Amino acid sequence: MVGVVDLSSRPVQDSPPAWLASALEVPSLDVRAALAQGEDPLGLLMEAADRVDFGGFFVVDAPFNPSPLRRILAARGFSSYGRCLGAGHWRVYFHLNGAADWEHDSEVELLEEGAMVWREEDGLHVDVRKLRPPYPMVAILRLIDSSPEMARLVVHHERMPQYLLPELAERGWGVVRVTEEFQDVRLWLERGA
Amino acid sequence: MFAGAFMMGAKDRLLPPVIPFRFFASAVLFHVAGWAVLAWGAQDVPGFQGGGGAVVAALHLVTLGVLAMTAMGAAYQMLPVATRRQLGPAWACSLSWWLFNPGIVALGLGLGTGWSLVLEVGAGLCVAALALFGLLVARNLARVDDLPAVTWPAWVAMASLAAVLVLAVVLVVDMDVGLLTDRPALAATHALLAGYGFMGMLVVGFSAVLVPMFVLSKPVDDAQGKKVAAVAALALLVAVSGTLGRVFWLQALGCVLGLGAVGLYVVMQRRVLASRMRKKLEPFFRLLKAGWALQVLSLAAALALALGAPADRLAPLWGWLLVFGWLLSFATGILQRIMPFLASMHSGAKGGKPVLLSHLTHQRLLDLHAAAHGAALALMMAAIVLDQPLLARLAAVSGLAGALAFGGFAAVLMTRYRAHERSS
Repeated sequence: MVGVVDLSSRPVQDSPPAWLASALEVPSLDVRAALAQGEDPLGLLMEAADRVDFGGFFVVDAPFNPSPLRRILAARGFSSYGRCLGAGHWRVYFHLNGAADWEHDSEVELLEEGAMVWREEDGLHVDVRKLRPPYPMVAILRLIDSSPEMARLVVHHERMPQYLLPELAERGWGVVRVTEEFQDVRLWLERGA
Repeated sequence: MFAGAFMMGAKDRLLPPVIPFRFFASAVLFHVAGWAVLAWGAQDVPGFQGGGGAVVAALHLVTLGVLAMTAMGAAYQMLPVATRRQLGPAWACSLSWWLFNPGIVALGLGLGTGWSLVLEVGAGLCVAALALFGLLVARNLARVDDLPAVTWPAWVAMASLAAVLVLAVVLVVDMDVGLLTDRPALAATHALLAGYGFMGMLVVGFSAVLVPMFVLSKPVDDAQGKKVAAVAALALLVAVSGTLGRVFWLQALGCVLGLGAVGLYVVMQRRVLASRMRKKLEPFFRLLKAGWALQVLSLAAALALALGAPADRLAPLWGWLLVFGWLLSFATGILQRIMPFLASMHSGAKGGKPVLLSHLTHQRLLDLHAAAHGAALALMMAAIVLDQPLLARLAAVSGLAGALAFGGFAAVLMTRYRAHERSS
């Protein structure tokens, strides 16, 4: 719930890599249960990595930041981007691209709609990609409504959220800037715009 | 300034606003025309058992002119955004409007006067328009595999539409040729498929998209949406078999299954409402809730008819509850929310600031419409039960007053929208 999260205390993060948009569609391999039972999932993970073609992805859910695995896979050409989704839950996205940008981490807050929130230099960011309508709109409006002091929000969306505009206007918010990449439409929302 | 600018570059671009607003403007005008014709022939509503004349003309002005017209405008605009698939070329959407409007006028005139050539031309145009609409929607739905709560009821609606159109053609041809041995059974099947099948299942599909969006809630559960569509489809099949074969226990079973589908639908909607972020429901919701309640009453009336209750009172009451009680209440409720919403969304398309929803909505006129519509519903039910033609006329005049207030709301909305467009 946004209402009980102090978003202002979030550390400033780097922007996620551009390839993350495509990786969001990939189902994750969850090794938390295996680790809890004392099993070592490394073999399973390496087999999964072996099946990835150049330019492809795979995603791992782990109970901690699996830094050793990330370094092993970096040596095989994988870049990785990790997100801390909560206590005991990391999701790491791997992309076989020659390890061009091999490791990024991000502390994110997971909203109840499934949206991910983090802070960058230009303000609070929310990623609502791959959420089922109307969750993207609900997550964005919940953030805006629950933080009266917030003046700017950067939204990562997979398409133009046309139906959001009347609701934003009614709240005195508007869109001041938009960039469009494949599966990453980024909107800068501002109060009073 | 960016709201409009980025919309113009959208990959999943909306239709030009003129297309949905043409449909909505027609719906508003046919709403007035339907009530006016009903007021003219209101004395025939109590005891009405079918046939031609002003009542049937008014009925088709409302079912085609308001209900189907609203559904077409809303589907063309909302379906491609909800399903994230293209619906069809804009010219085809426009063509369906150009075919449908003269078709409804001619059909209404033909049904009211008995002029068979006018009736046949009108029916032909209406069938062409609705068939085009059905093809465009089916083409869109065929590309979707991830929204069963929307697509399943929409498929049932499209299958019902196909059957409704075939039956309509047969009924019109029969007026000249006289080929049917049991015309009343076919007319009743046409009515139940049009009301519960085509329009009713579109209501279920639209509810799955629009209600969560307007109340800002979690989406409709897919498994529940599939259950509603499956039980409703079964109810329709059983009820149609019973009506065509005059097997009354099958008709009754169809009604019970229909009530079961409504129960599942209400549970689904209650779950959506329970999770909503917008705590205070907007005024348009009173019409939706009234419609849902009257939908249950319409099925109860149909069940009583199937169980042998006297048709002279219950048959017109059933038709009234179904068309004016449930479907017209729902359609006007959705129209009064969707029109300002879409106008606000499209405003600023030239780079200006979007006009506020609250500025576009003349709430007093909508309150007047709701009061007059509610009075019309109650008065006509009393007129049918008590067999009071004068009360029926009073009911229709009240409905006409409500329709005029609704027309006023639409005129104010368009005036304010255009003023905003000129100033931006």
